[in-house]
Amino acid sequence: MTTSPADVERTVTDFLTRIEKLPEGFGDSTPLYADGAELDSLETAELSATLEDVHGSDPYSSGEMPQTLGEIQAFYAALPA
Amino acid sequence: MEVEDPDRLAVVTHDEELTYGQLADAARRAAARLRAEGVRRLAVADHEARVVVPLLAAASLVGVEACLYPPPAPPSSGREETADLLNRMEHELLVTDHADLAALAPTTWTTDQALDGDPGSSAEPFEAPASRPHLVLTTGTTGAPRGVRHDWARLVRSTRRVRPAVGERWLLAYGLHQFAGLQVLLHVFASGATLVAPAPRRPIEGLEAMRTLDVTHASATPTYWRFLLAQARSDGAGLPVLQQITLGGEAIPGPLLGELQAAFPAAAVSQVYAASEFGSTGSVRDGRPGLSVEALERGEDADVDLKVVDGELWIRSRIGMLGYHGEPPVDPDGWRATGDLVEVVGDRVEFRGRSSEVINVGGVKVHPLPIEERVGAVPGVDMARVYGRPNPMVGAVVALEVVAAPGQDLDVLKVALREACADLVPAARPRSITFVDDITTAGSKIVRRSE
Repeated sequence: MTTSPADVERTVTDFLTRIEKLPEGFGDSTPLYADGAELDSLETAELSATLEDVHGSDPYSSGEMPQTLGEIQAFYAALPA
Repeated sequence: MEVEDPDRLAVVTHDEELTYGQLADAARRAAARLRAEGVRRLAVADHEARVVVPLLAAASLVGVEACLYPPPAPPSSGREETADLLNRMEHELLVTDHADLAALAPTTWTTDQALDGDPGSSAEPFEAPASRPHLVLTTGTTGAPRGVRHDWARLVRSTRRVRPAVGERWLLAYGLHQFAGLQVLLHVFASGATLVAPAPRRPIEGLEAMRTLDVTHASATPTYWRFLLAQARSDGAGLPVLQQITLGGEAIPGPLLGELQAAFPAAAVSQVYAASEFGSTGSVRDGRPGLSVEALERGEDADVDLKVVDGELWIRSRIGMLGYHGEPPVDPDGWRATGDLVEVVGDRVEFRGRSSEVINVGGVKVHPLPIEERVGAVPGVDMARVYGRPNPMVGAVVALEVVAAPGQDLDVLKVALREACADLVPAARPRSITFVDDITTAGSKIVRRSE
């Protein structure tokens, strides 16, 4: 799978759907943690592993702490082609 | 070296048969060569039983410390590993028929050279050496292999109660460089039985040997047995009738005991708790996982005694090692931590895994083995490995590798795997599930250390 915004969004929404934490109206500015998807630390760790498995790298392992889907998409957009 | 029945078969492979008399002759020739050359230590990087067995016997006869190196893991040629072992174990003499390894040691003999000594009168016994050292390399499942120093006089104590069993044919599923392989060898020769030694010693060759070389008894790791059962399911050619199945070398999942009993209904199933460092503690034959609590606190007179200290099994063994190569000797009769984490549940000592395999998930210690057991029971799973996968959020997460049975819908299986673990505490639930063709093993044991 590519690192296009659409593919990254699919990975994140599939993950949130599977763990039953996809908020209504989820979008690229919905918080991933409190007041949003409410991911805890283990779920965030799993999201990190999932992103790495699917897209080859992930923002958490690069020292970032994205707050929203949009920030995750921005991480991949900034990667060298 | 007296041989009771020189014509009895000692070693059988797909290519040849060797009698006890032939092996004894080869051992005398090798002993004469070792003594004539003044050898004190040697490494062997050849794995044919017809070579290795007489070399081991010869070394023990004349007090030379032999060390068998593990076979290279394809696609490696073994050059790098052999060079590293020669350096770390300080071996100057290497016995090998592999031309690309010959230049690595200061002195190299071919196997023919090692076995070509002149013993003179074959009835003349060799003078008894002051000690009979032997060096066993650990499998390296938790790091680089270490050289474990043994003495044959202590090793053979474990065979004192072995009954004669002429006619039994024991599969050699371990390498003779492994302590467990050495135990099988000692047991077979102490009982006058026959060793069936396929090469290489993978489950696929072991299954073939069982089917075609009349194997009656087999001892192997749980991982080996799981691969063998999967192989038999895959090729559909059925399983042979065995009289005895033994498991050891790593913690034994309870469901596997039932699977083996069902697959080999005529076989007695026993478990051995043993390690390169402390030898064998004996076998458990009641078909239940773990050890009986009667194995604990046996008293000073016992060759082997066990106790539990802070959840870890400790052992005192008079048949165990003298120390590690290059390190100060240990008290050979003292208590040692085994690294095996256990829990006493009722009348059983149940294994929870190796202390080095514990996964630290955000400060929560997770044992991989119970998760592996649970996952292994999911229909459609041939093999599973649980390990710690580094993670920036919590240090490590529980990761799962699965070899699926042929024809499985992997999406459906992944859902079933998650459901099987759903009632575990959150830290113990696998956060990464990967389907693979093979599970990483070392010495037929699953490698579970964190990656």
